[in-house]
Amino acid sequence: LPGHSKYFKRFPVLTDSPSATSKAAFFVEVLLKFLEYAQQKKNYMRMKFMKGFLLGLANRTAVLGVVYIALAILLMVYGFINKEQHCAAKSFGTLKKKMSDKYQVLLPAALGLLTGLNLCPPFLLAFAAAAANDSLWNCIPFFSAFFIGTSVYLTPLLAIGPFRRHDFLKPIGRLAVGIMGVYYIYFGFVTIQRSIHS
Amino acid sequence: VTNSGRNEKYTNRNPVKAIILALPMFLIMALMITGGSGLPKDPLQLTAMIMAYILINGIFYLMILSMKTDKYRSLLFVIYAVCFVITFISNLVEVRGSMIVTQEDMVQGRTPFCHMVIPMVIVPAVLTRTIIFPGSMLEGFAAIGTMLVLWLGASIVLGRGWCSWACFYGGLDEGFSRIARKPIIKNINRKWTYLPFAILLVIVLTSAATLSPTYCAWLCPFKAVTEFEEISSSTILLQTIIFFSLFIGLVIVLPILTKRRIQCGLFCPMGAFQSLTNKFNIFEVRIDPEKCAQCNLCVKTCPTFSLDEESVKSGKSRITCTKCGKCIDSCPKQAVSFHIKGTPLGVNFETARLIFIYPAFLFLAVMGSGMITGAIYRALLLVKTGSMMK
Repeated sequence: LPGHSKYFKRFPVLTDSPSATSKAAFFVEVLLKFLEYAQQKKNYMRMKFMKGFLLGLANRTAVLGVVYIALAILLMVYGFINKEQHCAAKSFGTLKKKMSDKYQVLLPAALGLLTGLNLCPPFLLAFAAAAANDSLWNCIPFFSAFFIGTSVYLTPLLAIGPFRRHDFLKPIGRLAVGIMGVYYIYFGFVTIQRSIHS
Repeated sequence: VTNSGRNEKYTNRNPVKAIILALPMFLIMALMITGGSGLPKDPLQLTAMIMAYILINGIFYLMILSMKTDKYRSLLFVIYAVCFVITFISNLVEVRGSMIVTQEDMVQGRTPFCHMVIPMVIVPAVLTRTIIFPGSMLEGFAAIGTMLVLWLGASIVLGRGWCSWACFYGGLDEGFSRIARKPIIKNINRKWTYLPFAILLVIVLTSAATLSPTYCAWLCPFKAVTEFEEISSSTILLQTIIFFSLFIGLVIVLPILTKRRIQCGLFCPMGAFQSLTNKFNIFEVRIDPEKCAQCNLCVKTCPTFSLDEESVKSGKSRITCTKCGKCIDSCPKQAVSFHIKGTPLGVNFETARLIFIYPAFLFLAVMGSGMITGAIYRALLLVKTGSMMK
């Protein structure tokens, strides 16, 4: 796309192919342009309306409630209605099969590394906190603690091995997801109700 | 009928032999129903006790005589459930003045404990050493300790047979499932048989996370016929609407339309939990492949969806089997039978049936006798005084 190459200098390459990189760069370009556009108040009236709309919704809690309901409906569709099994990692399965014989360690090691480098909000928070620290040595225990703390959430992955042998667990899991969807619909309505009354 | 029972038609047993076989039950029930403390002095209570004794033992005698299991089990099971509701509500009204459980009752631990809570209390009990239910451990009506011991005993002896021989709720949807002559809804997607396990998973996790019995608070259909919280907020109003809607839908309407125990087979998380006990229980229902004509009548009649084409081929009922005996009674080739694990298949099936129905019926009779006596007593009281309360 014309004019997007300058952003390569600003941002590191985040994706794995030139076309994907171009798309990502284009996405960032549009995002930045929009922000710039908004900041320069060229569309002052629209911004004012949006600002008023969001603030009018009782500190935006109601928006959260609506989001809960929308996502809960998705959960219910997945749990109760959708018959097809959508796997987000089909191609990954093929890759794993190819690599599993020769490089048994490389694959999880690479995935672990990539997960660690993921610019997720907690990582950014930890990075910002470490950057604010004067001493480099103090950052090491900070990141170690951060790693241990976040690794706890990976321990349920151990159950995937023994559980995948039992096919009956799949429909149970899906239906459980659907039931939680029902709960979150209720929770969404309660959130909206509270925001209106507060 | 020969000892093996193979290729023989069901016929009635010799009445004298049936009495001899039923005699131990008559004696055990005499001890159980009186509680070993003699007969009551109140003539109404005495009459109720005698009537309950005759009813229970009469049904057992017919079960032995006719060699049919489900027909008579079902009769007593439904009577037991109806009598439970009458006795329970009468007791509540007598003690509290209404079916409403107040905050004070819960704080004081006066809420009766039922087996539905058991799956939810285990994880929090291990983690926090507390039972997350506002009941009493040992004192009062349906104390936690008493119910846990009863459930544990029944689980060891019966496995998921609990759901057709001991549960005081199961007879309600079983009763409604037998009203219609033919089912109106026939095809039910088998994926819904996993729903009780999904509900079990959700309530165990949410109860552990919130340290409160979430099923009791939100999903129990039987709150509609036992006790429910005083409506003091919109949340409690919503919960009460859910209880009544689930009761009407799962216990009354759907069982009538499908002729199946929908609440027990497609919803109850306690039933799902109880299914796990079938793994170590010695009794099971087996299908003899040599005798089976593949008519699938057992699949069509199973009230809890515990038989399907696959299980018929494999000769074993699914883990959810409640051992009600309906498939055994309905099989035209007598290919389905109770079986004791570790013994040869297809031999001594009447012996296996007797070995199973003795403890199973004893649980039903012991748990039901108090309820049936209580309900008859209330009925007699109503006739005599015009009120069911003392």
